Amino acid sequence: MTDVDVLAGVDGSPRRADSPLARSRRNTELTLVVMAALITGSAYTIASLGTNAEIPPGIVVFVAFLLGLLLLAHLVVRYVARGADGTLLPLAALLHGIGFVMITRLDDRLAGLQATWSLIGIAVFVGTLLVVQRAGDLARYRWLLFFGGAGLLLLPLLPGLGTTINGARIWVNVGPINFQPGEFAKIALAIFFAAYLADRRELIAASTWKVGPLRLPEPRYIAPILVAWGFAVVVMVGERDLGSSLLFFTLFVVMIWVATERVGYLLLGVVLFAGAAYFSWTQFSHVQTRVDIWIDPWSRSLDRGYQIVQSLYGLSDGGLTGTGLGRGNPNQVPEAQNDFIFASIGEELGLIGGTVILMSYLLIVGAGLRTALRSERPFEKLLATGLTTIIGVQAFIIIGGVIKVVPLTGITLPFVSYGGSSLIANYLLLALLIRVSDASARRLGDLPDDLTIGERWQRAQLARRARRAGRKGLPPPGGDAAGADAAGADALPGADPGGAAT
Amino acid sequence: MNRQIRQLAAGLILCYVALFVALNFWQVGRKEELDARFDNTRAVLREFNKPRGPIVTADGVVVAHSLANPPDSRFDYRREYPSGDLLSNVTGYYTLSFGATQVERQHGDVLTGTTAAQQVRSLGDLLGGDVDSSGSVQLTLRHDAQNAARFFLGGREGSVVVVEVETGAIVAMWSNPSYDPNTFVNQDFEVAREVISELQEADGNPLLANAYQERYMPGSTFKMITTGIGLETGALTLASQFDRVREWVPPQTDDPIQNYRGSQCGGDLAEVFRRSCNIPFAQTAVALGPAAMIEGTRNWGLDEELPIDLPRPAGSTFGNTSDLDQNLPLLAIRGFGQNEDQMVPLHMALVGGAIANGGRMMKPYAVAATFDHGGRVLDQTRPEVWKTPLSPQNASIISDLMVGVAQSGTASCCIGLNGGVPVAAKTGTADLGLGGGVDLVHAWIVAFAPADAPKYAVAVVLTDLESTPAEAATGGRLAGPVAKGVLDFLLTGDGAG
Repeated sequence: MTDVDVLAGVDGSPRRADSPLARSRRNTELTLVVMAALITGSAYTIASLGTNAEIPPGIVVFVAFLLGLLLLAHLVVRYVARGADGTLLPLAALLHGIGFVMITRLDDRLAGLQATWSLIGIAVFVGTLLVVQRAGDLARYRWLLFFGGAGLLLLPLLPGLGTTINGARIWVNVGPINFQPGEFAKIALAIFFAAYLADRRELIAASTWKVGPLRLPEPRYIAPILVAWGFAVVVMVGERDLGSSLLFFTLFVVMIWVATERVGYLLLGVVLFAGAAYFSWTQFSHVQTRVDIWIDPWSRSLDRGYQIVQSLYGLSDGGLTGTGLGRGNPNQVPEAQNDFIFASIGEELGLIGGTVILMSYLLIVGAGLRTALRSERPFEKLLATGLTTIIGVQAFIIIGGVIKVVPLTGITLPFVSYGGSSLIANYLLLALLIRVSDASARRLGDLPDDLTIGERWQRAQLARRARRAGRKGLPPPGGDAAGADAAGADALPGADPGGAAT
Repeated sequence: MNRQIRQLAAGLILCYVALFVALNFWQVGRKEELDARFDNTRAVLREFNKPRGPIVTADGVVVAHSLANPPDSRFDYRREYPSGDLLSNVTGYYTLSFGATQVERQHGDVLTGTTAAQQVRSLGDLLGGDVDSSGSVQLTLRHDAQNAARFFLGGREGSVVVVEVETGAIVAMWSNPSYDPNTFVNQDFEVAREVISELQEADGNPLLANAYQERYMPGSTFKMITTGIGLETGALTLASQFDRVREWVPPQTDDPIQNYRGSQCGGDLAEVFRRSCNIPFAQTAVALGPAAMIEGTRNWGLDEELPIDLPRPAGSTFGNTSDLDQNLPLLAIRGFGQNEDQMVPLHMALVGGAIANGGRMMKPYAVAATFDHGGRVLDQTRPEVWKTPLSPQNASIISDLMVGVAQSGTASCCIGLNGGVPVAAKTGTADLGLGGGVDLVHAWIVAFAPADAPKYAVAVVLTDLESTPAEAATGGRLAGPVAKGVLDFLLTGDGAG
């Protein structure tokens, strides 16, 4: 274990050791973040010229505010996660910026709200990075997260609390606050899956339970996951949120497949999915409608297929280069600022703009999965895989729905769509991914694994106690008492239970 | 686990490749098909949210313009046509759901400011704070002259066309019935469709600019062309003499040709032209033969589309000529403008214009110039010669013949201009030959004035008139006053100067 060396190295000098690799990553991030801000600022100006034919009066304030927010996020990463991948934050900033410009262009009123959500989103990003300083810590809260996630999912079903908007009962109203708990539940459940599977993946993969010709894992190992998955799917169907349901399903199947390294789970997942899809197609009229519209929207172009047909008209009108920001008619598509924001982007920025969005998601997926590959601990590996899968699959489901590749299911486009819950949850997810990326970089020795703020504070406290004890002539803390006090040390690399399975 | 993660990466890449392919499919591959679908209003929507420049007459009256809608309307602008039906056949219409016609269509790019020149200029204007790049179109038509044309036609079905003889610029071009575009252009699809389909089924085809998009049997006005061909080929001279007869049997038939209402008619060219005898021109056509007549009519621009700067012009025709040498009686009849001869009213005005203009037939045009938003000229129409069917000498000869018609011939009743302005004219009464007690006729007149220094040529046709023996509908009597009214207005009346 390297813990001792690292601690020794840090012990001597409270100043952080320099790391050229980390510095270069952060400088790359800084450059890219500034570029994302400049692109957003230019797009904002162009969109205003296109719609109102004037340079937006608040452009300087806007760019300053934007740069300020992004630089804050960057500085926090530089300070507490300096080894992390340098492209994640800029890519999210670019998507967020393009989305924000599009929302402003679609609806001024929503733009103000989205600006507030952006602020909160960055705050949550910063907060998450500061609070979660060791990715492994999360694994300890797996059961809390499991029940928390399940509770969040159930929340909209509670009478008086849940609200049905556009046919889906996925909203919760608490006083003036309206939010979609499902957005956070998916992260909680991803963490739970990662922690649970990291512990028991070998047991699950062992498949010692024989049922006829099938070899299945011991029921007690697989049960919690099945419960979590079934819970999510049932609730989602109950809430009529097909997109999230599909996302949970994919997340579950992908994580158990990666964890067990058994392709059988993937195949089983596909079969289960096909069965569930067929079942809901026969049982639920809204599912049938979705499928019918997917197969032939044209014959219903004035009623049920209106949204998708208008979306395709918009994309076609945009063509290769788009109509130009502010010069198309994306408002023709209902919910243009939400689920259909990709159609607005395709219309006004064309195939080129749409491809930029696709590439951004693909690059995020690449950075996320690279993090997963580099991680040496199963929990972090699975967590990075799960979080990346959420972003990649969610974007695929909604973009695919908008351009008629898959049946349309209402779900937000991460970072781009309007909506506080979605934006905040995605920044939270991004912070976790950056945290895992930083952890794996440290473990690989890209940079010295210096202590986190919390650990330094604990160390200082320990030292203070030692001094105090020394003054009083007592022996330095140790034995049983020291074990309790040094709880923070458990969080040091290599000390958490997840590490044992490496 | 790394193998699975790599496989997962590959799978996600495949998913995104599929998205990219689909995006190409919709945005590039099937673009044209989607853009053309009936319920796809994107292009129109985009246009209706942009200012669209005005169409202005030569005398400065705005006849089509865009007005800003109140805030929160579905579209930022609406299109209005302040003079209603008066110039709709020239401006055309610009609708939300049914596209555009005429100038609105032909010069849509100028009006919306999307020509290359406007785009480049507006880039500069943008920096100066002017972001509206919509251009404007100035017509050659005069609002007052158009009004006069409508007034003198007096609600009867027909067309009045006035052209400037030296340039071919159209000064007035009125057809009745017309339509008011304001009734449907800003309406929703359903309402607009109902109004338009009503107009399509209405009598007299109001949506069609009959003055240049329809053709009618010309009757005796065609004798200008037959005379012109005869003079050019030498088959006719001022000295030509024709027997005074009531009827004449052309070759290949026993069925005689008669003069108008069986009258006895003959004499020298001036005489037969003045009285508009039929038989001399039938004989001239037969004497010239099919080949010379066909070639001659081609020289006058028949059997080709009018080269006007508006969409979908009609073309005049000498009829089916495939075996005319086997059908000399038809050739004879066509010599005086019956049978399959069909002339576009505008073309008839150009025929008068060519005679007035020393034999040069100008290309007709309705748009004088286009301007960008700053008022700078984008394009200006330059007069061009279309056909030269006559030598100046022969043009002058026919001009004199037509002065005779106006002074003491078939038009003498009704074409004498105020202030003694000399005028030249040729009448025509095309018998649609429905038989019975009532004949349907087109009454024509082609005139130009002043005859000694021609400025305007005018063609008038009143269509589908009922003609009875008691009250004969003739070009001179019915169309003559219309031409006189318009010419008086332009030369000595309120529209002079």
